[in-house]
Amino acid sequence: MAARAPREARYRVGIDVGGTFTDFLLLAPRGRTVAHKELSTPADPSEAVLAGLAALAQGEGTSVERFLAEVAIIVHGTTVTTNAVLTGRTARTGLLATRGFRDALEMRRGVREEMYDNRYHAPPPIVPRWLRLPVTERVDAAGAVVTPPDAADVERAVERLRAERVEAVAVCFLHAHANARHEEEAARIVRERMPDAYLSVSSRVLPQVRFYERTSTTVLNAGVGPILARYLANLTRRLAQARYRGTLLIMQSNGGVAPPDAVARLAAMTLLSGPAAAPVAGLACMAPYREKSFITVDMGGTSFDAALVRDGEPAVTTAGTVNRYALALPSLEINTVGAGGGSIAWIDDGGLLRMGPQSAGADPGPVCYGRGGAEPTCTDANLVLGYLSAEYFAGGRLRLDAEAAQRAIAERIARPLGMSLTEAAHGMYQVINVNMASAIREISVLKGYDPREFPLICAGGAGPIHAARIAAELGIGRILVPRDASIFCAAGMLRTDLRHDYVRSCAQPLPDRGADRRAVGDRVRGLVRELEAEARRALGAEGIPRVRQRMRYRLDLRYAGQYHEVTVDVPERALAASDWDAVRERFHAQHDRLYGYHLRAEGTPVELLNVRLSAIGTTMKPAAKRERRTGGSCRHALKGPRTVYLPERGGFRPVPVYDGDRLAHGNRLAGPAIIESVNTSIFVPPGYRAEYDALGTCVLTLGGRRR
Amino acid sequence: MRRSAPKRDAPMRRAAGTRRRIDPVQVAVVQRRLKSITEEMGLTLLRTTRSPILNEARDFVTGLYDARGRMLEQTEYIPVLAFALQPACENVARFFGDDVHPGDVILHNDVFSGGNQNNDVAVFKPIFDGRRLVAWAACKGHQADIGGAVQGGYNPEAREVWQEALRIPAVKVYERGRLRRDVWNLVFSNIRLKIVEEDIKAQIGGCTVGERGFKALVARFGWPRLEALLEALFDSTERRVRKEIAAIPDGTYRGESYAFYDGVTEGSKMKIALAVTVRGEEITFDFTGSAPQTPGFVNAPYSATASALLLTFLMLIAADIPHNAGILRPIRIVNPEGSFLNARFPAATTFGNSITGPTSDAIFRAFAQALPQMVTAGWNRFLGFAVSGHDPRKQRPYVDILFLSLKGGSGGTWMADGYDHIGLINCAGGILAQDYEMFEIHDPHFLVKHEYLADSAGAGRWRGGLGVETEFVIDGENVTGVAFGDGVEEEARAFGFFGGKAGAANSIRLDYPDGTVRHAKTKEIMRGIPRGTRFHQRAGGGGGYGDPFERPVEQVLADVRNELVSIEAARADYGVWIDPETLAVDAARTAALRGGGR
Repeated sequence: MAARAPREARYRVGIDVGGTFTDFLLLAPRGRTVAHKELSTPADPSEAVLAGLAALAQGEGTSVERFLAEVAIIVHGTTVTTNAVLTGRTARTGLLATRGFRDALEMRRGVREEMYDNRYHAPPPIVPRWLRLPVTERVDAAGAVVTPPDAADVERAVERLRAERVEAVAVCFLHAHANARHEEEAARIVRERMPDAYLSVSSRVLPQVRFYERTSTTVLNAGVGPILARYLANLTRRLAQARYRGTLLIMQSNGGVAPPDAVARLAAMTLLSGPAAAPVAGLACMAPYREKSFITVDMGGTSFDAALVRDGEPAVTTAGTVNRYALALPSLEINTVGAGGGSIAWIDDGGLLRMGPQSAGADPGPVCYGRGGAEPTCTDANLVLGYLSAEYFAGGRLRLDAEAAQRAIAERIARPLGMSLTEAAHGMYQVINVNMASAIREISVLKGYDPREFPLICAGGAGPIHAARIAAELGIGRILVPRDASIFCAAGMLRTDLRHDYVRSCAQPLPDRGADRRAVGDRVRGLVRELEAEARRALGAEGIPRVRQRMRYRLDLRYAGQYHEVTVDVPERALAASDWDAVRERFHAQHDRLYGYHLRAEGTPVELLNVRLSAIGTTMKPAAKRERRTGGSCRHALKGPRTVYLPERGGFRPVPVYDGDRLAHGNRLAGPAIIESVNTSIFVPPGYRAEYDALGTCVLTLGGRRR
Repeated sequence: MRRSAPKRDAPMRRAAGTRRRIDPVQVAVVQRRLKSITEEMGLTLLRTTRSPILNEARDFVTGLYDARGRMLEQTEYIPVLAFALQPACENVARFFGDDVHPGDVILHNDVFSGGNQNNDVAVFKPIFDGRRLVAWAACKGHQADIGGAVQGGYNPEAREVWQEALRIPAVKVYERGRLRRDVWNLVFSNIRLKIVEEDIKAQIGGCTVGERGFKALVARFGWPRLEALLEALFDSTERRVRKEIAAIPDGTYRGESYAFYDGVTEGSKMKIALAVTVRGEEITFDFTGSAPQTPGFVNAPYSATASALLLTFLMLIAADIPHNAGILRPIRIVNPEGSFLNARFPAATTFGNSITGPTSDAIFRAFAQALPQMVTAGWNRFLGFAVSGHDPRKQRPYVDILFLSLKGGSGGTWMADGYDHIGLINCAGGILAQDYEMFEIHDPHFLVKHEYLADSAGAGRWRGGLGVETEFVIDGENVTGVAFGDGVEEEARAFGFFGGKAGAANSIRLDYPDGTVRHAKTKEIMRGIPRGTRFHQRAGGGGGYGDPFERPVEQVLADVRNELVSIEAARADYGVWIDPETLAVDAARTAALRGGGR
C-alpha cells in the first residue's frame, strides 16, 4: 500500500485521543521529540487528529501533505470506546439470542461482586430486555444442528430492531463456538435488512465456549462498534485526503497494535486502547532508577486509569471488566474509573457530594471553557482554588472564565449544601481525589501490594494537580511527573512493539511414545509454520525486517479431565525435535508453580488444546535524551506569586509559580509551589520537595526525603 | 439512645511482644495480602478441579487460620461456609496437638467435630516457620460424592449419619510429605466417583499455594512482627464490629420463622424461635425454644447454624469489615443441643446448610424494628434437585446439583430492589449458575429455556428480585433425582416487608415421556427417571419492601415493557394502568387506582 517502503529514519507519530484532549508525540530523526496537545472534538474526534497533525507540520516548517509524506507510522490510541462505556453512552444495541436464553446478559451468571451489600446493584445491561429478541434455532454442544434457524423469525426480529432504530446488532447463539453457521445465517439477514447497522457476531468476536462471557463481550463489541467505526472511517478519510500513505496502527487493549480495518471489526479490543501504552511509557520513565516496579496513573478530562507494573511486566487478563461488564478478550489489567478534569459534580439522594462518572468532556467542557457547559466540573473547582491559572491554561491558548466557574459552583453545589464557595470547590477536589485513590487501591492493596513500595508515575494533563494529594491518601512518598506528562500514553505508543497474537485449536492427547510423536510433531509444526508465515507477512508489510521479528511459541495444555488450560512457553528446539517429554515436563512444572501440585507420578495423560504464536516486531525506540545536570536554583523560572487555596495554612495564600518548561535536571524547590508548563500544572503542596531528574521528570518527595 | 462505648485502644499503639509501633496501614496490607493468597488458593480449585460443582458453581471455601485454628482470612464464594472451617480447624489442631509436621496433609468432614456438611470435605495443611507451627492453610469443597446410601450425598431417607456419608474425622493422608497410601485407599474405596480423588488432590494443591504465600509473608515481615500484625488485625476487626453493634439500640428483639416438611411427615413444620439481645457492644443470638431435631435429615450441625447466623449478620453491618476471627468476639450464640438447629449425634444432617433460609428470615424479622433500613424482605427459599445417572455419550457416571435452575430472587430493601436470579441466601450471590454451554458439555441434558419468570417478584416500593424458569430434557440413563429444599407451600414464599408483597413459590415438575406428570416434594428421592423426561423448574422471586402503590410509575412501566411484570399485575399490585397496545400509562386511571385502591 505504501508508495515507498517505510523507513524508520523518517517521522513517527503517537496520537492518543482522549475524551477531552488529543495528545501528540512526534518522533523526528535523531531522537528529537515534539509534544503537542489539541482539544478533542467529540462530535468527530478525527478533526482534532488532523488539526494536531497540521500543527506539527507547521512546527516542522512544512505543509501537512509534505509532512505526512515523510511520516512512516502513526500509532494511535483512542478512548472513544472506553468513554462511551464509562458514561453509559453506548450505541443503541439489539441482541438476537437463541430462543429461551435472552437473559444471560443481564443475569451475569447470578453472582454479585459484593455478597453482603444488598444495595450494590450491577449497572444496567447494555441491551435492555425489550431489545433482546429470541430467535428459533439450535445447535447442540457437539455442533450438530438440532433446529435450523427460522428465517422468518429472524426477519421479524430484525424488522423490530430496525423499527426501534437500533444502530448495532449483536448475534449470540448457543454453541456457536462449535458451529457458527446459524449465526452467519442470522448475520446475513441483518446485513440485508440493516446494511448500516454495526454487526457483532459472537463466533467471530470470541470463538470460544462459555455463553455468558461470549455474549457479554459480543454485546460490548456491538455497543462500541458504531462509535469506533464512525470514528475510524472519518479518520482514514481525512488522512487519505491529506495524502497520508504510511502505516496507521491502532493501539489495542492487549498492549499491541493492529491495522484499522481489523480493529473496526473487533471494536472491543480498543476498550483499553489509550491506557494500554502507559506501562511501556512508565518503564522508560523509570530507566534512570533501574527500577521496574511502579504504578502509573493517567488522569485526563474524562477518565482515570491506573496500572501496576511489577518487574517490568504489566498483568494481562482474559477475565477483565469495563465498568463491571465482563470482557473476555485479552487485555492489560488497567483499572479505569470515570474521574477526570471534566467530571461533573452533583448531589445524590442522600445529600452527599459526588463527582462523575458523567463528564462534560471537551464539548461543552467545563463551565470555565465558556463553551456552553453549565455543570460545574473538577477543572472548575481547580480554577476556583487557584491550582489552575485562568491565563495560562493550555499555554494561554484557552482563556478560562473564572467567574463563570465560581457562579456554577456557588449555585449548583455550595448553595444546596449550605457551604461557602471555597468549601464547595475544595469538597469537589477532595471527593475526586478519594475516588482516584480508591482506583489505585484496587490494583495495589486489594491485590496484596503495598502502594507505598511503588513510586507513582503521574500522567495526564489534569493529573499532576492531584498527584500529591492522592499519593498522601495512599501513603506513597515518591511521585514522578514526566516532562511530557500530558502526552504520556502517546509517548508510550511510540515505544510499543508491533504484536500479533495467533491461536489455532489443535485438540489431541500429547503423545507418550512411538510413531505418534512424529505425526503430532508434523501436525503442530505444520500449524506453527502456517501461523508464522502469516505473522511474517504482516510484520513485513509493516516495515519490520526479519532480523527484528521475534516469534514466541506457546501451547495450551491440561491434564485429562480438567476444564481449564495452562499456557506453556515452548522453545523452538523442542517443537522442531518433537521433544514432547520436555514439553510435558514444562507443563508439570508450571502446573505445580501455579497450583501447588502436579500429576507427574500418577502418569495422568496431558492434552493439547491450542497452539499459540505471538509475533513481535521490535521497533526503534526514541532514544531517551538525558539532560545535563545544572544547579539547584529555580529562580530563573520564577514567574511570580498566585493565591492558591492551602487548607493546611487556613485559606488562600500567595504561592510561587514556576515555569516548568524552564526547569531542568538538578533544579530543586520546596512546596508550596505551582509548576506550570504548556500542557500541565504540578501542584507541590506544603511539606513536599520537587527535583528534576536527567529525563526532565519532576520528582516529588514527601518531607524532602532524597532517594 | 444508649450509653457511649468504652474507649478502646487508639489505632496507633504498641502491640504485645514487639517494641515497634503497629502501623495500621501495614495491618491493612497484611489483611489484603492474606485475602489475595486465599484468592489464589481459590483460583487453583477453579482451574484444576474436575467436578462442575467446584469449577463451575464454586461451591468451596479456601482460607488461612492461625496455629490455634482462628480464622485469618478466607474466600467465601459460598457465605454459608463463612464459619464452616474455623471450628473444624480448631478441632484438627486440638486433635493432633504436637503431632503435626511440615508436609502433613489432613482430611476432615465430620459434622460432629466441627464440620458443617458431610459432602464438604476439608483439606488442612500446617504451615511452619522453621520448626514452629504458625498457621494452617485449608480448602473445603462440596464433593460430587461422599459414599453413604445415595450417590451425591442428599438422602432424605437417612435417619442417621452413616446412611448419609462416609465419616472422616481428622486423618492424615500425608505424613511429613509422604502419601499414606493405605489411608488414602481406605477413604477413596468408600467413595463412588474417581473425580473426587482428583478434586481432593486439587484441594491439596490449593493448600500448597496457600502455604507458599503465607511463608513469603513470614519471610517478608519476620514471624514475631507478622504475629503482632495479625493480632492487631483481630483487634481492629473486633473494634469495628463492636462499633457496629453499639450503633444498634439496646434491647431484646424477637423473630420467628418456619422450615417446612421434615421429609418424613407430610405437612410438618419446624419453628425457629430467635431472641436477639443487644447490650452495648455485644450481641447474643438465642435459639432456645426452636423445634426439636427431626427424625430425618432436616437438621443442622452447630457449624451450619452459626454460619447462617453470621452471614445474615454481615449483611446488617458495614460491608467492608474484614472476615477473621475478630468478628466473632462480640457475638454470643445460644443454641441448645437437641434442637433441629444443633442436632445431637448421630443425627442425619445433610439438609443443614439449607435451613439457612428460614434462619435468615427469623433474623431479618428480629431486626425489622432496630435496623429497618438494613433488613431485606424474604429471600426466595431455594429448592434444589441433585441429579445422578449415567452419561451415554461419555460412558461414565455423572452428578450435578443443578445450580443453574435453583436461583430465585432476593428480598427488596430500603432504597433498592431485590436481586434477580441471585439464589439462596446461603450463597448470597456468590455461587455461579452454570454456563449453559458448559452445562450441556458436562451433563447429558439439553436446555430448552432459562429465563426470568414474569410476575415472580413480590411487589413493593422496592420490589423483590425475579425468579427464574428452567426447562431441559434429560438424556442420561438410570437417572435418580433428589429434591431437597423448601419454598413450595403458600406460607413458605418469600415474605414481604412494610407493606410489600410475597414473592412467587418454587416448583419442580417432571414430564415423563409416557405422559406422566410428577411434582417433586421438597424432600424426595425420585428413582428411575426415564431418558427423555422434561425437567421444569420455577425458582420463585423475593419479597417486596414497602407499599407497591408508592413505586414510581416509570419503574413499573419499565418492568412491563421488559415483560417482567404483566399488564394485569401492574394494575392489580401496583395500581398502574397501562394500555396493552401502546404501553402508555393512563394517568387518570392510575391516580384513581392508587388513590382509591386502599
